[in-house]
Amino acid sequence: MTPTIAPQIASFAAAVRDALADLPDEERDELTEGLEADLSEAYAEDLTNTLPDPVEYATELRQAAGLPVREAPKPSVFAGLAEGWQRTRGDVLAALRRNPMLVSLLDFAAALRPVWWVARAWVATWLVSVFFGSEDGFLPAGPGWFLLLAVAVVVSVQWGRGLWRFPGLPTLIVLGNIVALVAILPVVAYARGYSGAHDDYGAGFGDGVDAAQIDGLAFDGAALENVFAYDADGNLLRNVQLFDVDGNRLAPTRMAEETQWELQPATLETGEQVFNVFPLSATRMTWDDGGGELIPDPNPDPDKVRAFQDGPFVKVPALQKVSGSND
Amino acid sequence: MDATQLLKGVLDVAVLAVVEGEDGYGYDVVRRLRAAGLEEVGDASVYGTLRRLYSAGALTSYVVPSEEGPHRKYYGITPQGRSMLEVQRKVWAEFSTTMNRLLFEEGAA
Repeated sequence: MTPTIAPQIASFAAAVRDALADLPDEERDELTEGLEADLSEAYAEDLTNTLPDPVEYATELRQAAGLPVREAPKPSVFAGLAEGWQRTRGDVLAALRRNPMLVSLLDFAAALRPVWWVARAWVATWLVSVFFGSEDGFLPAGPGWFLLLAVAVVVSVQWGRGLWRFPGLPTLIVLGNIVALVAILPVVAYARGYSGAHDDYGAGFGDGVDAAQIDGLAFDGAALENVFAYDADGNLLRNVQLFDVDGNRLAPTRMAEETQWELQPATLETGEQVFNVFPLSATRMTWDDGGGELIPDPNPDPDKVRAFQDGPFVKVPALQKVSGSND
Repeated sequence: MDATQLLKGVLDVAVLAVVEGEDGYGYDVVRRLRAAGLEEVGDASVYGTLRRLYSAGALTSYVVPSEEGPHRKYYGITPQGRSMLEVQRKVWAEFSTTMNRLLFEEGAA
């Protein structure tokens, strides 16, 4: 008796037996006895048939025979990881699918998967760019990094859609997902901190601007020392009370450090002392280097004092008389 | 619905039915099932099922040496297999009647 078995069939059957190696010899022999004959006949009948994956074939054989499914021999730690993840995910999903509430939740989560595809591409790009020190808040700095981000998003989404596959990709995706999951919170926190630094800077800048603001009447960015009102005839008015539209008293800053004038308030009939009565009286101050404080100027410039009291002009041009509108 | 999913539940009875009249070896059984219209049946599933039915005592098996090729393992039905098949026939008849009524008769409750 000289059994003739095509070599590819013989090696396929051997691979199937290998995949069943965890079974007792007797069980395995019973299960695979006649396998070569069956396969030979099957593939002689249809030569276009290609032999399937022997491991999958063995699994189908084993399952149909009601034998326990083998813990697949792990080709590598990482491939095992990917496989284990896929199986665990499958089991968990199957268990969750039994609960109708969770099903709708799952479907909702499934609809959000593209968001994750983009997020992991962002994390990956960010991690690469931070390695080169080119991150800038949430976004990498520079057009090159944006291009990389765009490429990463496209690749990630294609992989997510099950396209652009290659051997070993499932493992890569599982590892990448783990890295992205672990990294995303710290990365977001760091990126936020980075933008936060910008915010702090902005706030500080704002404070500086506020500090530079004049606390009182100002003109063209400079503090006003006094205000002089002239009437229609061009004569200086005294004791003019000024208010804004909200009824606030208009008063110059009382920080003598700014203007070097120590303002004297006017007293209202109510007894209240106010600084919106113009022109205001004031004392010319000077900086006393010895005492480190402002003191009344012992020798004030008389022109300045006079101008402060009596206005820059003795008289200004009167308004043009309009007939019929005689005051 | 995927017919292969349905097939899993009824493969036992289908296999018993095709070896009831005449013993058969693995691929022979596959061929008979496919000829009967179960074209999507996987050969490994059939071989495994044969093995399980044998373990359960529904089938007997014997090896036939071949002169020009490898050995063939034949399976035949046992009395236990026949009674199993009879029970399964009744179960199927009731089940299929119920399903047909449910799916195809209007006003079915």
